[in-house]
Amino acid sequence: MPILSEAFGLVFQPYVLLVILASAAFGMFVGAIPGLTATMATALLVPVTFFMDPVPAIAAIVTATAMAIFAGDIPGSLLRMPGTPASAAYVEDAYRMTRSGRSEEALGASLVFSAIGGIFGTIVLITASPVLADIALRFSSFEYFWLVVLGLSCAIFVSPGSVPRGMISLIIGLFAATIGIDNPAGQPRYTFGNVELLAGVQFIPAMIGLFAVSEVLRSVVAGADTPAVEKGGQKGIFSHQWDNIRRYPFQALRGSVVGTAIGALPGAGADIAAWISYAISKKFSKQKEKFGTGHVEGIVEAGASNNGAVSGAWIPALVFGIPGDSITAIVIGVLYIKGLNPGPTIFINEPQLIYAVFIVFFLANLIMLPMGWAAIKTARTILSIPARILMPIILMFCIVGSFAINNSPFGIILMLVFGIIGFLMEENDIPIAPAILGLVLGPMLEQNFVTSMIKADGSFLAFFERPIAAGLGLFTIAIWSIPLVMAALRRGRRARPADA
Amino acid sequence: MKFNDLLLGLLVLLGGVAIYVSALGFTDIPGQSYGAGTMPRAIAIFSGCLGLFMMGRAILEGARMPRLELAAWVRSRRSVLSALVALALIVFYIAAAPAIGFVPTSLVVMAALMLTLRTKPLTAIAVSILACIVIQQAFGRLLLVPLPRSEFLTFLW
Repeated sequence: MPILSEAFGLVFQPYVLLVILASAAFGMFVGAIPGLTATMATALLVPVTFFMDPVPAIAAIVTATAMAIFAGDIPGSLLRMPGTPASAAYVEDAYRMTRSGRSEEALGASLVFSAIGGIFGTIVLITASPVLADIALRFSSFEYFWLVVLGLSCAIFVSPGSVPRGMISLIIGLFAATIGIDNPAGQPRYTFGNVELLAGVQFIPAMIGLFAVSEVLRSVVAGADTPAVEKGGQKGIFSHQWDNIRRYPFQALRGSVVGTAIGALPGAGADIAAWISYAISKKFSKQKEKFGTGHVEGIVEAGASNNGAVSGAWIPALVFGIPGDSITAIVIGVLYIKGLNPGPTIFINEPQLIYAVFIVFFLANLIMLPMGWAAIKTARTILSIPARILMPIILMFCIVGSFAINNSPFGIILMLVFGIIGFLMEENDIPIAPAILGLVLGPMLEQNFVTSMIKADGSFLAFFERPIAAGLGLFTIAIWSIPLVMAALRRGRRARPADA
Repeated sequence: MKFNDLLLGLLVLLGGVAIYVSALGFTDIPGQSYGAGTMPRAIAIFSGCLGLFMMGRAILEGARMPRLELAAWVRSRRSVLSALVALALIVFYIAAAPAIGFVPTSLVVMAALMLTLRTKPLTAIAVSILACIVIQQAFGRLLLVPLPRSEFLTFLW
């Protein structure tokens, strides 16, 4: 109880509440601009959080993320351009509802069910995290090694595009993580005599480059055009939602459960959760034929799912120190910068901080309702800012943000290099998320692998000797082998008729 | 610039070979067979296998896609120029900001990019001045980031 009251004390301070409000507005703004993702909002926020205490820093990220994921639905409805990838699954339905004069119902549904999904995910986060943390305390380097490999594997298999291209992205991230002196032998690697590289690739400039600068470059080569906003009714945002709650309670619950579970899976985030929930919704719907024609059912389920995933992604991040998606990958970086080690010990050493995070999640999802209402009302103004004006300003924020991490121009050079890499990666359909996870988890993978190999005296069998490690190991191997077996079977089936 | 699987596989394979060769020079932890070279070697092997797999699959499938496909924007002189200007402006900031300060450099970067993207000159200059002051006040004054100062604009700090 004293811990809980201490946590309330940490959150309910004028400064923290102001940070939450400001981040909510920032998240709404970024999410509502097509092409700017929730991850980019987080990446741009990090340099600012650098100057805050842990609670307001985390509160800023949690609030901005939750808001950005919802706000991504606004341009989806009005422009047919999802603001974030997490809104892409149901953009067709939302846009068609707008064209038939039902934009208020579409945006209201995504707002209300986003809040429901987010609160559900938070409840799961609160109940599941301490239990899992208790188990995680008994983990050794073998279990952590497999958990990291599992996380990286999931990142590859669930990322959009082909699996080999996901692996290329992972290799880029893992290689970048090897740069510097922080390795088992303490020998400088790939620094080419550069003193600044001895500390390794700074995470934040790399992140800003991969997500934000690459997006600016993409917009610049596309001519930075701003599409016309579709007109549609804008009254009665909440009035239709009672009907939707009564009509689709099971869909909302299923979306929240699926979203939270997928979010908790290392490597998978809100965008994948939304796609899967939309597919499930369509498959089990009594009105399948209406999906894609302006039907609200898919928006209810996938909207709850993508915000459920935002909370779910924090479970592995807080419990194991393994990010559930690229946003929590950034959060882990922030926690390390603040001197906090995400993992089971944070529940023992800093319980008040964990409870403060839980309270912030509730606040973020509740504040979403009035802020979302205001955002929907002002959406047309936000969306009319031309990209040709917005992108240069974003570029300047990227430059200052990268500089602010170490107050060194080297951060800007890193940002530029990773911006070009990110741009080329997306040009070649190479997903960015596995590279981020590789960069974050690379040191953890190396440390646990080398420690385990030394403990096992070079025997790979030791990785399967402890029950949980064996379970995780077999699960990881199954993830890799099942698609290969399925592909071989498909090829065999295709070859047989040809032989006959 | 889009590479097909054959070309991309070859690049990944060559990358793996380069990482492996470079990792041979790294030392182990004294008394152990593991050290600074373990991880790069593992990445190199993973990379080599992936490169061979991609090339093999591309050859088996006949690598239908052209080896190197130019994206639509590469054919537009305006798009290429805009991208080059954006990159050059970042380099300009790195080179010029320590000498002439944050405010004039950022003003040039934003205004030049806006003008390249065909914003009206007056709007570009007005928005750049406003954005520049907001960023300088937020980061330089509020968050105390030591942004490079200009001698004639010290009153802003």
